[in-house]
Amino acid sequence: MFFNSIEYFLFLPAIYLIFYFTPDRFRWIVLLSGSIFFYASLMQPYLLLVLFGVMLITYMFGKLIATRSEEKEKKRLFWIGAGINLAILVGMKYLPFITENLDLLLKAIFGKAVIPVSPLIVSIGVSFYVFQAISYLSDVYLEIQEPERHFGYFALYISFFPKILQGPIERANTLLPQLKKPYEFNYDNMRSGLLLFTWGLFKKVVIADRLAVIVNTVYGNVNAFTGLSLIIATYAYAIQIYMDFSGYTDMALGTARLFNINLTDNFNRPYLATSVAEFWRRWHISFSSWLQDYLFKPLQMRMRNWKSWGSVIALLITFFISGLWHGAAWTFAIWGLLHGLYMAVAVLYKPLQKKLYKKLKLNGTKILKLWKIFMTFNLVSFAWIFFRAESLRDSMLILKKLFPLDPGKVDIVNLYELGRFETLILLISLLVFIVCIKSLNKLLKSGTYWRFGIRYSFYLLLLIYILLLGNFGYSDYIYMGF
Amino acid sequence: MTTFERLNEIFREVFDDDTIELKPETTANDVDGWDSLSHVNLILAIETKFAITFSQKELLTFRNVGDLYKSIEKKLESRK
Repeated sequence: MFFNSIEYFLFLPAIYLIFYFTPDRFRWIVLLSGSIFFYASLMQPYLLLVLFGVMLITYMFGKLIATRSEEKEKKRLFWIGAGINLAILVGMKYLPFITENLDLLLKAIFGKAVIPVSPLIVSIGVSFYVFQAISYLSDVYLEIQEPERHFGYFALYISFFPKILQGPIERANTLLPQLKKPYEFNYDNMRSGLLLFTWGLFKKVVIADRLAVIVNTVYGNVNAFTGLSLIIATYAYAIQIYMDFSGYTDMALGTARLFNINLTDNFNRPYLATSVAEFWRRWHISFSSWLQDYLFKPLQMRMRNWKSWGSVIALLITFFISGLWHGAAWTFAIWGLLHGLYMAVAVLYKPLQKKLYKKLKLNGTKILKLWKIFMTFNLVSFAWIFFRAESLRDSMLILKKLFPLDPGKVDIVNLYELGRFETLILLISLLVFIVCIKSLNKLLKSGTYWRFGIRYSFYLLLLIYILLLGNFGYSDYIYMGF
Repeated sequence: MTTFERLNEIFREVFDDDTIELKPETTANDVDGWDSLSHVNLILAIETKFAITFSQKELLTFRNVGDLYKSIEKKLESRK
């Protein structure tokens, strides 16, 4: 059951109504059973077992860590708890990758297959809630979070259905207290929650899924396209992945808001960032702040005597792991390393850059800002090539066609598998997005931003637009695979 | 000079800004240029000037200047 499915459009009102008519002290039971039902609808029974395992182990270790007074003992328990969580993640996601590479290596040495290669298994959600579990254990160990005593609330904190499939990755101190608050119907939350959900749906089913057709056509058969088509498809992918994932996040946040729960916003206009480091403060924020707090900072502090070089190594390790978190493939590893490299170069180049801008009197000018935004967007888009390419070989082929640029005209006929009419709708919808985004943000904040008549006409038009032009046959979310 | 004044001096040196006036509730958001990269330089400068070493756990739990200051004081106290 995904957010853009008929099942979900039935499930959400149903669970809301049950929730509404249940007394406060039992409401967690409604949300928890709803969440488990939601996850179970993926029809992968072992996933429920994994979820339950993560809940139970993390809950127990959280309590255990807090009972110990000796630092050494606390640390040991933290590492065991986090280690079991990591082992579950590795087992679910990386076993096929590890055994496949090991198999290749051993075949090269011994000339025959020595170990069996593990089959691929569906692991939707696991990387998200395992990371959340590790953040919980860290916070309990660092004594910035009291361990949760109530297993029901804790289980809900891990599995709350709006965020179980693709995050946001929530910290205990922001989500747990909200789950325990008594519920009172709030008209404004209901209104802005539904609006946010609808807006996310628009991004996903009207824009992202149309862009997907272009991107899939080109990236599905890299050989057949020239450099220019590849450039167009790559930019299209940059927009697609933003619309897809931020659309999902809007729907998650919108859903949670109906229950008066505010989840972390994952996006803050990422493509307007003026540096790659800033991009990461604006893109998938709950994930990048996780990396910063639980991976980058500890590494950086450990290597602090090496000054800038310590930060450089910490960046490279952090982003290499970030790459692998997205998927067990070398293409993701390269994508992550590229981002690490971008930022590492920026760290080392910063003193020189400062002098340069001063000399050229560029500081604070608009032109410098635009240049930086342009460069950042292109660096990020270049990295997306590896993220999207279906294999390492494909990504190398693309690079060959781009440097030097393989001329040849854009293969319009093939590229727009979408058809002329659909392409027109896509362009109009992108325009609608750009024109509406500012008013929409204001409308989300204040229910009286527009006059009643205009407001409701807008809601209605948006809904009709989606119903007419939305692509509901598609149920793929990019981040669902991670 | 009190420990807090010495700490303020170190901040001014590291961030190259003589106008910095620390308060216990000052956070990274209040000081220009205090990001995760300059934070390392700051910690190193504090450790060198006061001849102390922070533990990994301490470094990960400082929320503001007050936390940092308390930890320095505690270390200087225990050395007397």
